[in-house]
Amino acid sequence: MLKDLENKFLSDFESNQNIVHKICRIYTTNRDAHNDLFQEITIQVWKNYPQFRGDSKFSTWMYRVALNTAISLYRKSTRKVKTQDFSDVAFKMKATDYDDTEEVQLKALYRAIHLLNDIDKALIFLYLEDKPYKEISATLGISNVNARVKMNRAKEKLKNILNP
Amino acid sequence: MDLLDKYKKAWKNQPEDIIKRSTLDIYKLAQSRSSSIVKWIFIVGILEFVILNSLYFFVDMDEAYAEYEKLGLENFIFYSQIAAYGILFYFLAIFYLNYKRISTTDSTRTLMKKIIKTRKTVRNYVLFNLGYMALVMVVVTIASINTNFDHLSNKQIILIIFATLIATLLILAVLGLFYQLLYGFLLRKLKKNYKELATLSDED
Repeated sequence: MLKDLENKFLSDFESNQNIVHKICRIYTTNRDAHNDLFQEITIQVWKNYPQFRGDSKFSTWMYRVALNTAISLYRKSTRKVKTQDFSDVAFKMKATDYDDTEEVQLKALYRAIHLLNDIDKALIFLYLEDKPYKEISATLGISNVNARVKMNRAKEKLKNILNP
Repeated sequence: MDLLDKYKKAWKNQPEDIIKRSTLDIYKLAQSRSSSIVKWIFIVGILEFVILNSLYFFVDMDEAYAEYEKLGLENFIFYSQIAAYGILFYFLAIFYLNYKRISTTDSTRTLMKKIIKTRKTVRNYVLFNLGYMALVMVVVTIASINTNFDHLSNKQIILIIFATLIATLLILAVLGLFYQLLYGFLLRKLKKNYKELATLSDED
């Protein structure tokens, strides 16, 4: 029984791990912290997995747990880590047909997002992931109208950073 | 929105993370120890309950009781301590229940609210304890002045009151400052984020 649950969790998590990586990239600025946060999210998703009833998509449910972990549960480790800013490392592409300008844009986007506060980060992330307002407001626990207002402000802030 | 649309396209086309975790990696990670802020809040909270209640072990209770008896305070101390223990268990129960209600599957706002509430339970207990200590100090001072009234000059009485006041305030200030640091250390980020989310929500 537990084995079944475990296997289901592992396959669900493995196939959706890229969502977690993106969240880690948004909320941390170096590899060590990225790995730390990834670990904490994995723990939290597994710990809460028995509560996942399957009435929503696993990924939808995971967005919530992962964002909650990044915003409220994760404590930035205070130890100084002397690693390179990973945005310069992580994007060394394997794909040959990858558009060069898009790579540059993506780097700029991550840099800009790093300057936002934790809540705006979540809003922008959910926007980039094409989540409907209904889901965004439910995830954050605010009203639909509120989500729209906050989203517009967050987008404005992001635009100002990207194109001052 | 055209500017962001361009970036959104880049976001959509971004390659997968270079470090792809295998099922085995994920299994190992899931079994590892959490170091979440909620866990820290629980540990620190329990430590506070333990530390506050073990202060008594550093005092020779028999000697203190003899002192209280001399001042005619044995009843006050006895009953107020029973009350204090009742209140301790009340706070412990509330703290534990609040802690248990914290769930990462809640919405971001509800989760933050519950974490702050749990932490506040401990803070209220500490405030209660500081108040209790101050009360005992004041009562003891009044009683000792009363008992020794005939042997004390007015000047001495004023001096005793003044010294007690200063000592009480000093102890409260040091403990309060220490607590502010601890509380800030654990909750600063959370409170900021909560405010960020809550500001608009309270307007509607």
